[in-house]
Amino acid sequence: MSNTRWFTVDTHDGRTSVRLTGAWRLQHLAEIETALAGLALPPTVSVDGSALTEIDSAAALVLLRALHAAQSTQAAPGGPSWVGFSAADGRIVEQVRTHLEATAAPPMPRRQQPLAQLGVKVIALSDLLGGHVNFLGATVAAFGEALVQPRRLRLRELTVQLEQTGLMAIPVVALVTMLIGVVITYLLGLQAEKYGANIFVVDGVGIGATREFAPIIVAVIVAGRSGAAFTAQLGSMRLTEETDAIRTLGLSPMQVLVVPRVLALMIALPLLVFVGDVMSLAGAMAIAGPMLDVTPVAFLARLREALDARHVFVGLAKAPVFAAVIAVIGCRMGMTVGRDTRALGAATTSTVVQSIVAVILLDAVFAVLMQALDI
Amino acid sequence: MTGRPPVDRPGPDAVIEVDDIVTRFGAQTVHNGVSFSVGRGTLVGLIGGSGTGKSVLLREIIGLQRPTAGRVRLFGTDMWSAPPQELDAVRRRFGMMFQDGALFSSLSVAQNVAVPLREHTHLSSATIDALVVLRLLQAGLPADVGTKMPSELSGGMRKRVAIARAIALEPEVLFLDEPTSGLDPITARGFDRLVRSLVDDLGLTVFLVTHDLDTLLGVVDRLIVLGSGQGRVLADGTVRDVMAVDDAWIRDYFSVRRIAGDGS
Repeated sequence: MSNTRWFTVDTHDGRTSVRLTGAWRLQHLAEIETALAGLALPPTVSVDGSALTEIDSAAALVLLRALHAAQSTQAAPGGPSWVGFSAADGRIVEQVRTHLEATAAPPMPRRQQPLAQLGVKVIALSDLLGGHVNFLGATVAAFGEALVQPRRLRLRELTVQLEQTGLMAIPVVALVTMLIGVVITYLLGLQAEKYGANIFVVDGVGIGATREFAPIIVAVIVAGRSGAAFTAQLGSMRLTEETDAIRTLGLSPMQVLVVPRVLALMIALPLLVFVGDVMSLAGAMAIAGPMLDVTPVAFLARLREALDARHVFVGLAKAPVFAAVIAVIGCRMGMTVGRDTRALGAATTSTVVQSIVAVILLDAVFAVLMQALDI
Repeated sequence: MTGRPPVDRPGPDAVIEVDDIVTRFGAQTVHNGVSFSVGRGTLVGLIGGSGTGKSVLLREIIGLQRPTAGRVRLFGTDMWSAPPQELDAVRRRFGMMFQDGALFSSLSVAQNVAVPLREHTHLSSATIDALVVLRLLQAGLPADVGTKMPSELSGGMRKRVAIARAIALEPEVLFLDEPTSGLDPITARGFDRLVRSLVDDLGLTVFLVTHDLDTLLGVVDRLIVLGSGQGRVLADGTVRDVMAVDDAWIRDYFSVRRIAGDGS
């Protein structure tokens, strides 16, 4: 009947026997599988393993599945009989046979319909935002406790955080804002030169940099730097159960970890925005001379006339709000991260994205409010 | 220990050959001439005090870390001078279970076990799915854990999934790093039985690093002790042989068990 490299099928006196040959191993299994496909067998067969050099459990599984498939089409009085298997091969086949039924229908992950997926996302998002608001409340409450009992405030942690989020951020903030100052001046200058309105570039860059660009740029840098760091720090402390240790020592993680970070960032960010104001104007002044023939003296004189102090204050006033949002998102994502390393990475990325989106949304709200209030 | 395969059989039957391994980290010498060989179908345990470089030796055997000097051969192939294709072929003949499982956290349990099958075989999806279930069952897990993520599993289950992944390609040798660490005694004994059945039923050779005395006394065919200080093999043989060796560290190691045994 059908003979292949892997088995021969014989029929004697109405009994069919399948004689297996060679090494039934995983590396040949694709071939064996093809050879077995379409093999039509009667309900009772005897399987002869005397010519096998070996069989491994993967090959045994494929064989048993093929026999099972061939038989399930007809009524089978009893399964196949096994002859000539060595003790070791017999053990392997027997072990796989006991598991055969379970392998017939591998459990499948459940897929959701698109609408259900959308619903899950919406609920997850509202949970996330609700959680942020909740956490903000808890932070304010913890801060209130610290105000009533000032010795609960962790001054040491506060100064460490001030150094890390404020002092250490000065170089990158200074560099980036200076370059932004140069770029804005250059772009405005290209237009203003056409009308001989070189000096008015100072008006544009002065108001633009201090009111909008410096706060936004600095907040984005800090979201990437400190917001992500907060999530990573608190998240890894949760992984190593440090936050639980704090709790069992009778301390509050909100007091020990969160309040100092939020407070430090709310102090540091306005200072960094001020650094950003100065540096972006310095960058603007540096390029205004060679490009637009506006000398530093002329630049400063014009700046004094054109730049109202209120623009600078509006920019500085936005900073603590941005800081609070970044710090609360960063800390909350860290404090609620799942206890595995993958979740920590995902939470850190999520913090940066959420903080930047939140900062830009808030900036838009500020712009509309200021317009309405005529500031 | 009767009825089990004979131990310490170098030569053509040896699947793991470690020859005069020297490992130094800066001025510190961890191994100073470690040699042994492991025959097919045995369950070998490696023990030693802290800092004797058990895990380092394991990493050197499977080709993750280069020894300072000496040779490691798996199935007769030198792990540190063979051409890449030959090494790939060797890598498919052994499996490794890392201490905490080292499961791919972004994949489900079933996908984790399927990785080697999808990468190295040309089997149909249906067969791979069935094989994955078989591996999970062989590792003593229920089939329905396949849909879970590694982060949803307990430590013992993670280790079992790691075993299922390590045996996916029908390896001839299985390396286990601290298979029972962090497991409760009942789970750990179940794990011992699983490892023993892999040797007895599937004919694997198992090489494990462990601290667990019960594992050693219960299932191991042969024990290799790395000595601290001298960086050599301190004792090598059946558990009974090793316990008879006159050495302070070995006496201390097994005396813990004796006291505990007398106490209860």
